[in-house]
Parts: sequence; C-alpha cells; structure tokens
Amino acid sequence: MVEVLQYAKRRVDALRGDHEARRIHEDDLGTHFQLLILVVAVVFPIAVALAVSTKQTGVITGVGDLLPGSYAVENYREVLVDYRFGRFMWNSLAMSVVIVVGKLAISVFAAMAIVYYRVPYKDLVFLFILFTLLLPVPVRFIPLFQLMNDLGWSNTILAITVPYLASATTVFILRQHFLSIPTSIVETAKLDGVGPLKFMLFVLLPMSKGVLVGVSIIMFVYAWNQYLWPLIIIDSEANQVAQVGLQLLQGDVQGGQLSWSLVMAGSTLTLLPPLLLMIVFRKPLLETFSIQQK
Amino acid sequence: MTTVTLHDLRKEFDDVVAVNGIDLEIVDGEFLVIVGPSGCGKSTTLRLLAGLEDATGGEIVMDGRDVTAVEPKDRNVAMVFQNYALYPHMTGRRNITFGMKSSGDFTDEAIDRRVGEAAETLDIADLLDRKPQAMSGGERQRVALGRAIVRDPDAFLMDEPLSNLDAKLRIQMRAELAQLHTSLGTTTVYVTHDQTEAMTLGERVVVMNDGRIMQVDEPQTLYDFPANRFVAEFIGDPAMNMLPVDIENGTAVHDAFAIPLPNADGGLRNGANGDGDVPIRDGRRAVLGVRPEDLYLATERPDASGETLAATVDVTEPLGDSLLLHCSIGESPCKIQAKPRSDIRPGDTVSIAYDPARLHCFDPESGDAFYHSESDASSESVAAAADQGR
Repeated sequence: MVEVLQYAKRRVDALRGDHEARRIHEDDLGTHFQLLILVVAVVFPIAVALAVSTKQTGVITGVGDLLPGSYAVENYREVLVDYRFGRFMWNSLAMSVVIVVGKLAISVFAAMAIVYYRVPYKDLVFLFILFTLLLPVPVRFIPLFQLMNDLGWSNTILAITVPYLASATTVFILRQHFLSIPTSIVETAKLDGVGPLKFMLFVLLPMSKGVLVGVSIIMFVYAWNQYLWPLIIIDSEANQVAQVGLQLLQGDVQGGQLSWSLVMAGSTLTLLPPLLLMIVFRKPLLETFSIQQK
Repeated sequence: MTTVTLHDLRKEFDDVVAVNGIDLEIVDGEFLVIVGPSGCGKSTTLRLLAGLEDATGGEIVMDGRDVTAVEPKDRNVAMVFQNYALYPHMTGRRNITFGMKSSGDFTDEAIDRRVGEAAETLDIADLLDRKPQAMSGGERQRVALGRAIVRDPDAFLMDEPLSNLDAKLRIQMRAELAQLHTSLGTTTVYVTHDQTEAMTLGERVVVMNDGRIMQVDEPQTLYDFPANRFVAEFIGDPAMNMLPVDIENGTAVHDAFAIPLPNADGGLRNGANGDGDVPIRDGRRAVLGVRPEDLYLATERPDASGETLAATVDVTEPLGDSLLLHCSIGESPCKIQAKPRSDIRPGDTVSIAYDPARLHCFDPESGDAFYHSESDASSESVAAAADQGR
C-alpha cells in the first residue's frame, strides 16, 4: 500500500515537473541495474553455450574465446544429421505432450470431484493426494522399474509417461482455481439442469483457460527436462529423449575427444521448445502465478 | 403459477440451526419478501426452496407436489443471485440460452422467440452480443433477470438481487422489478436485508430472526401493528423508540412521565397475539414503543392536546427533510423526528407531544406485543362492521 502511494506521489510530482521528479530516474535506474544483473546472471551460461556451439572444438581459455565462431552450420548439421538428434527431440516432444495432456485430464477430473462433489472423506482424499508430493518419482525408481518390466513397458513411451500422469501440484492449483469460481455460477448451472460433463466443457474449462495454459507450460517444461528416469528405463537409442541424448553427443570421451561444441549445439536445440512456449504463453503464465507487473 | 407451502421446515448446519421449523404459505402469483438481519436464515430458506440445500426436516410442497427431495432442475424455479452469476465467457444471449438449451425442452425457434420477448421486456436487446465484462452492474442484473424469465418458471427466487447496485440504480431497478412482477404475475420469493426494499416490493413481507418467522403480513400492517419487539425495531428507519414503563390504571408510567393508554381498559388488542384480547393488568412491566415520527415538539403542534414529555437533546442530525433529535427522556434514550430548520441545539430541553393513536406495548421478557392503541383496521374494524351488520 505504502509503495503504491509513494509511486502515485512520484507520478504526480513527475507530471508537475517538480525537482523531486529527478529522483524517479535515480530510483528507476537502481531498479533497472538490479534487473540487469539478474538477467546477465541468467543469460550468461546460455550465451556461453550459444557461443561455444559455433566453435570447432569448444574449448574456452579466455574471454576472446567467447566470440561467436564460424562452425555454427557445421555443428548443428552434425548434431541433427549425424547424431540424429531430431529423433531425440521428437521423442521428448511426444513424451511431454502425452504427460501434459494426461496430467490435465486426470487433474481436471480430480479437482472437479474434490471441489464440486459430495465425496465421503473428501478432505482426507485431498490430503492424501498432497501427501504424494512427499514421494517424488526418483524415490519410487526401484519399485517402478520392477513394475515397468513386469508390465513389459520398459523401453516404450508408456514407461516414461504413465508414471508422471498423476500430479498433486496440478490438482492443487486447479482446486484452488475452481474454489475461486463463485458458487452461484455453479448453482445456476445446477438449477438450469446443466449436466456435469457439459458444465465441465462449457463452463469450467472456459473459465479456467488461463490457469490451464499456465499449468500446462510448467508441466511441459518439467516433462521436457526429465533425465534420470528415461536414462534408466529406456535402453534403445531410437526411443531415447533429448536430455539423455545430449550425453551421446559427447563423442569418444575415453579417446579424449570430448566435443563440447556439439554438446552445446544440442543443448541450445533442447532449449528451444520450452523457450518458445514460454514466449508465446507468457501472459497466462504470469496470470496463473499472480506475478503482476507493478 | 404456483402455490408453495412450507411445513415445519428445518435446516441445520452441523450444530447451527439456520432455519428452525418454519410454516409458510406462498400464494399463487404473490410477491413475497423475506427480510431479516444477516444470519437469520432467510437466504437458507430460499436455497431450500430452490433445492440447493437439503432440508434437515419438514417439507416443501409446490402445487400439491412434495418437492422436498426433488433435484433443483426438476423444480422449475429460476434463481437470481446477488452477484448476477453470469458466465463471464459467454455473451448475454448465450448466458440466457445456455440453460434452456441444456434442458432440451425448447426448440431453437422457441428459444429465439423467448429471448426476443425477454429482451424487449427488459430492454436488453443491445446487450445480447456483449460479454458481462462489458456491462454495468444494472445491465448484468437485467441479463440475469432475462435468463430467469425466458424459462417461464413456476417461481422466481431472488437472493438480494439489488444489493450490488448503487443506491440510485437500486431504486430504479426496484420499480422495474415491481413492474415486471405485475406484467408476468409469476410467484416471486425475494430475499433482502433491506427493510425499505421489503416494504416497497412485498405484497406480503416475512420478517425472520434466528431461523424463525417473527411475523408475516402486508407491509403497512407490519409497520402499524408489529407482533413483537423485534419486528417493531427492525421495520422502520429510524427504529422505534423503546421505553421501559409500568402499567398502572391504564397508564404507562415511566420515571419521567405518565402517558394514558387509550382504550386500555377495554381490551388491548392485536387479535393476532394470544395476549391481545386480555385487558392489561395493573402493575405489569412493559416496554412502550413509539416511532420517532409519532413524536413531535410540542411547539410544532400548539393545538394538540394531551400530555407532553420533557426531553433533553443530546445530538441533532439534520436529514434535510426532517431533523432527527437524539434525546434522553429521564434515563431512556429516545429519537424524535422533528420538522427541519429548527434551531435546537444539544443540551436544550424540549417538550414533546405524541400521537396517542400510535402507541405500542411489548412484554419485556417475551417481546410480544400486547397492546396497540389503535386497533388493527384490517382485521378488527371489519369484524366489528360485520357484527353491526348482523
């Protein structure tokens, strides 16, 4: 509140052309400086990766080595064609899309049941769902590995998607959102005789568009970045995902030929799909997590 | 067209009794208003009627059909909510038709025709293609009303539909609602906490408190012959003055005054109260109720005969059309609605006259009214006339 008042006051002063107005620039400069530092800190490693991906060997010994090289086309071609990195990217995409769609479907139904239906011990059930947050997938690797083998799913897309379909986080976020929808809207639908499925498709989902998109992005990035589980359960190169595939780009490490430039080219490629999604859907994403611009 | 009857209707939320056994008959085509302070169970009663809450006990009968356990959609009632409850992502038209299309009872042509009629009735034709976000509060409420009337329900249930509007718009919409009811003639149950709204809209008004019905009557009867202290104080603004008195020889005796109660020896009556027809016993403790507008400064009506009371003015509130005086009569606080533009100041002592026909007495324990100085014309004069005619 105080900040808002101060801000309003500064704005008014600025309009009046008061000498106070000069301080606005100073304050803003400070803010911008802080932001700049943060941006540099985040972007620097990516910039390095980008620079290295254009070099022949990719070994950096000084600041001068950070300038872009001339091997970009060659490197990316080698990654995509010789190492068939496109295949890994495709596998990653398939895995991520299946996980996101499955998660959303299951979570929407679960949250809807928890919010709108009279289920006995509903709160306890919800608490149990939240409890699963304490057991992330890596903790379950050994029994999960056994289970996948028993089901004959190992080395298939089922193995890398199904264990991720249920999401306590998504259920929680959707539940909170559904609770924020006025009950009178739900009751109007009830009085009108709108069935549950129709209610979901024509009322609930359209009213949750922003949240659904926001959650999808987060889930997509999470799925896209899976590394350990695919590494364990997928043992054929044809079915492998991009994050694990990066390792294959290292080449003959034992032979001392660790080709960092190829690894960085692969990393840059891997970065692109989530980055694109983030850029396209930044608005609903910010809305979902209530990060408002001041 | 529906008659609705409630028999001993109860609703409990865990250990809280929201509706505590109410009996009520809502006549076909009536505009019934339920009024009461927040938490009195009025909204719960409406939600029970709609089927949005399950009754803990009792029954709801609509046109002879017991609907107590019937699903909301099968009761054929339409509800209008305080926050309009429009679907934000749908246009006005879609908001109105969405429920009709869901029920599947209407053909597309019928829907179009009904939407057209409703739009004309409510003057919302130009809102049909807008989304709620682009409408003002009053426009939204009109669209919500449109959604209710297109389905031609047996009853309208309205839960404080005007509370979110600003004061001016509220008065305008109030008149429109009354007009709408006159033209449609559909049974309407309207819940509000605003006693002005209740008085202006209701053909009959139900006053509720603590989950019970305090009184059901026409607005003027409620005002003139409150059945108990709660109704007397709730209906009317500023609220009725309540002065503790003893009854002696047909006179209300206070520390600071003694007022003769007209007809006190004959029978103090509002026939509706069990105590009403019994002559007042001497020595009884009572609470004397007088409305602020039934008290005036003696100087305002020099020709008026009768007792005057002395009061000390504590605070003056000029309201424009009147001057509200907060006074003390003896130890008791008392409000007086005097004529405006008088130069009375706090600390002055004023002499007050009263309208002897507008006195009420309530039992200090039960709060029930046992005396109104004027008899209830609607019930008793008619009865008396009938007696004479015989």
